[in-house]
Amino acid sequence: MSLRFQDQFLKKLEYLQVVSRREFAGRNRADRRTPKKGRGIEFADHRQYARGDDFRHIDWKAYKRVNRLLLRLFEEEQDLPIYLILDVSGSMAEAAKFDLARQIAAALCYVGLVHLDHLTILTFSRGLAHESSPGRGTGRIFRVFDLLEKLEAAGPTDLRESLKEFASRSRPVGLTVIISDFLDPGGFEAGLKILRSIGHDVFAIHVASPADRDPGAIGDVRFVDAETGEVRDADVTPRLVAAYARAWETHATELQGFCGRYGMGYVRADTERPFEEIVLQAFRQGRFLE
Amino acid sequence: MAAWQAWGLLAGATGLAAYLFLLKVRPRRIRIPSLLLWGRVLDDKRELTLWERIRRAVSLVITAAIALALGLAFLRPARAAGTTETSRGRVAIVLDSSWSMLARTRGGGTRWDRAIADARRLAAGSSGGEIALATTADGLVEGPTNDLALIEAALDRLTPAGPGAAALPRIAGADSVYFITDGATARPRDETILVRSVYESAANAGITAFDIRPSIGGTTAGEAYLEIGNFGPAQTVHLTLDRGGVQVLDRRLDMGDGEILRQTVGLERGGDPSVRARIEAPGNALAIDDEAFAWFDRARPVAVTVVGQQPAWLVRLFAGNHDVNATFVSPDAYRPGKEDVVIFDRWAPKDPAERPALYFAPPADSWLLADTAVEQKPHWQTAGTHPVLRGVDPFTLTIERAHAYKSPELVPIAQSAAGTPLVYVNRAKDGPRAVVVTFGPADSNLTSVPALPVLAGNALAWLSRPLDSTARRAGLASFEESIVKLTAPGGAAVPLSRLPGETVGVLRAPGFYVAEGGGGGRTTFAVNVSDPEVSNLARTSAGAAEASTPAGGPGQRPWWLYCAVAAFVAILTEWWTWLRRITV
Repeated sequence: MSLRFQDQFLKKLEYLQVVSRREFAGRNRADRRTPKKGRGIEFADHRQYARGDDFRHIDWKAYKRVNRLLLRLFEEEQDLPIYLILDVSGSMAEAAKFDLARQIAAALCYVGLVHLDHLTILTFSRGLAHESSPGRGTGRIFRVFDLLEKLEAAGPTDLRESLKEFASRSRPVGLTVIISDFLDPGGFEAGLKILRSIGHDVFAIHVASPADRDPGAIGDVRFVDAETGEVRDADVTPRLVAAYARAWETHATELQGFCGRYGMGYVRADTERPFEEIVLQAFRQGRFLE
Repeated sequence: MAAWQAWGLLAGATGLAAYLFLLKVRPRRIRIPSLLLWGRVLDDKRELTLWERIRRAVSLVITAAIALALGLAFLRPARAAGTTETSRGRVAIVLDSSWSMLARTRGGGTRWDRAIADARRLAAGSSGGEIALATTADGLVEGPTNDLALIEAALDRLTPAGPGAAALPRIAGADSVYFITDGATARPRDETILVRSVYESAANAGITAFDIRPSIGGTTAGEAYLEIGNFGPAQTVHLTLDRGGVQVLDRRLDMGDGEILRQTVGLERGGDPSVRARIEAPGNALAIDDEAFAWFDRARPVAVTVVGQQPAWLVRLFAGNHDVNATFVSPDAYRPGKEDVVIFDRWAPKDPAERPALYFAPPADSWLLADTAVEQKPHWQTAGTHPVLRGVDPFTLTIERAHAYKSPELVPIAQSAAGTPLVYVNRAKDGPRAVVVTFGPADSNLTSVPALPVLAGNALAWLSRPLDSTARRAGLASFEESIVKLTAPGGAAVPLSRLPGETVGVLRAPGFYVAEGGGGGRTTFAVNVSDPEVSNLARTSAGAAEASTPAGGPGQRPWWLYCAVAAFVAILTEWWTWLRRITV
C-alpha cells in the first residue's frame, strides 16, 4: 500500500499542529513552549544579574528605574517529543484497519516534522518490535512512508508488556500516541496506566472497522482468532450478533471512559470514514490537532 | 406393504431425521481480529441455555414432524387416517350402488369415487383381518378374504348398478359392517352397522318418470308420459323427445326450485317404437337421469294367422282392431310362417306349432291328446291370476261343454268347479308358448260376451311378447322364468339368475333391452333411472351424526396430499426461521 499523500492534503496538514495538553522539555530548539527559561522570543521573567551572565540580556531600562541590574528571561522553545506507537498485531491485519492506522501515523508524522518535533515511531504486538526516529524536517517524511509501508501485522497483542518495555527505557517524557484497536485479551488499562504514570501525555486512537462490530455470519460458525489461531464454535443467531455488537460498543465506551478518567485523549477512527475527514475533523474535534 | 412394515419405515425415517438433526455439520470458518469480545458474549450466552434448549427442541420436533409427514405421504398407511381405523376381525364393506352415487361433487369426482376411496381406506386399515366387499345391487362381490389385492381389484371394477334390494346384504360372521352411502335411498338397517356418508348436496334436474301408455280416445295410438323434476335453484331445462331419431318435441321449460313438471306427447300409430327423452340444464349434477327411454310396442300391430273352417266370429273380433293384423286361412292351406301368433279355431296340427299359438277347442286327434272326458255345463267360478286371464269376467260366460287334454306340457290356469281345465298354457320353457281354451264358440256363448276380446287380447299379448314392454327401473330386476336371454343396450348379455318362479338380473344402464323367451319370442323394453329419490340430490337419509368420509369438497383430495403439503410448509417454515436464527 502506498502512503504517499497528495500535495493538497499535505498543505492542509502543514497548517495543523499536534496539541499536547502539557508542556514538555525537548532536546532541540523549536517552536514549542517548554517549562525551561532560555533563549526564546516570549518574555518570561526578570532575575538578579549574576557574574557570568550574558550582558546582552541585562534589562537596562529596568536598571534605570530600579537602579539594579536585572536580567531578562525568555521562555525556552524546544521541540516536542512525540512517540507514535502503532499496533502491528494480528488483530490489525485487516487491510482496511491497518492501512488506516498507517495513514494516520504518516499524517501525524508529517505534522510533527513540519513543526520540527522529535518523532519516534514504535510498533508493538507481543512487545515492542521496532523503533525509529526519522529525524527533523519535512524531507524525512519519505523515510517515514517507507518505514510504514514495510510494516506487516502479525502476532498476538500484549499492550501492557509492550508499554512496560517502552517505559523501561530512558527517554524524554512527551506525547505518546497509541494507534490500535485495543483488542488485547489482557486488557488495555494496565498498559495505558503505565504510560500515564511515567508522565506521558497519552493519546489513544481507536481504529475500528465494520468487521470488528459485525462478523457478517449467521448459523454454525467456527471463529478463528487472527492473533492466536484459537478457534471457537458458535451458533450465531441475530440475537447473538446484536449481543456482540453491544459488547463491542461497550468495549469502545469503556476505552473512551478510561481515557477520559485518566486525562488521556481519545479519538475513534472508523475505517468507513474517509481518512482526510478523520484527520482534519475528528482529530480537531478531539483537540489532538489544531 | 404390511402395516407393521409401513410403521417401521415411518419410525426409521423419523429416527433418521432426528439423528441427522443432531449430527454436527462442519461449521463455516471465519477469521476474526480477536476472540476477546466473542468469548465474553458466548460466555454470557451460556447462561441462556433454557431458551437454547427450547429452540433446539422445537427444531427437533419440526424436523421429526417433517420426516413423519413425508413418510406418511409416501407410504400412505391406512392407520394414519384416524377415521378409517377399522376394528380387528372380519370387516364387511357395503357400498351403496344407487344411481345417485354418480352425482358429481364440488371436488370434481363423484360420490361413488369418494365411496371407493373410503372403501380402500377401510380395507387398508383392516389390520390384516378378513374383508368382505358387497354392494346393494350385487350383494357380495368379493371375499371374505385377507388378500387386499383382491379387494382392490374388485373396487376397481365396481360401478353403480342401481339401488338393489331394500335390505342390506348380510355378510356371515362380520364383526363390523361399514355401509358407505349418500343416503339418497332410505334403507332399514341394523343399529350395529356403521354408516359412512359420502353425501354432498347438489342441484340437479332429472327425468323422474317416462313411459308410453295407450291413448284413451283420441286419434293417436299412445301417448308418452314424461315427468321432469328440478331439484335446485330455478333454471331453464331444455327438453327434447325423439322417436327413432326423429325429433317430435323440443321445448325449453322454466322450472322453479323443487318444481315437478309433467308432460304428455301423443304418438301416432306406426313408425319407430323406440322413444327417447333428453333434458339439459346448467345446474345438473347427475347425468344418468337426463335421458329416459320408452318402447312403444303398439306402434306395430300383432301379425296373426287364423286357421279354421269357420272363422267368422274371429273376423268380427279383429275387425277394426288396429293392433292386430289378422290373416285367415283354412287348415288345408295353412303353412307355418313368420306370424307372431297362430290361432287355431277348432283345429290343430298333428305336431306342436312352431309359432306361439292360441287354440280354441282343438280336436282330439291333435298333439294335445284330447281326453275322452267331457264335462257338460262346467261352471267357471273364479278368474285366475295368470296374465292371460287378467281382467276376464267369467260370470257372463256360459259354457256347454269343455274338453280335457292329457298333454304333459299343458298346465291348467282356469278350471271349472268340478276341476275340468278350461284354459291351459304350455309349460315348455324352450318351445313356443301356447294357450289352449278347451271350449269353442259352438260350446259356449264366447262370441257374445265381453270376456272374449279381453281373453283374446291377453292371450295375443302373452303369446307375442314374452315380456311386458313397460319401462322398468334400472337395477336389480325380476323376470318371468321363461326368459332365457337378456341383451343390454350395448349388445352384451345380461347375466341371469334362476330362482324358483322367476329369473333375476341386474339392469346396469338405462336404455333398450331385449328379452327372449324360450319359444323364440322377443320383447324390447326400456330401462330408466326415473326416480325422484335418485334425482333429488339435496336430501339424504344419512344422519348428521353419521360419520362423513374424509373426502368432501376440496377435501376430496387424498389425505396423503395434505401430509406432503404440510411437510413442504414445515420445511419452508424451518428454513425461514433458521435463516433468521429463530430455530437452530
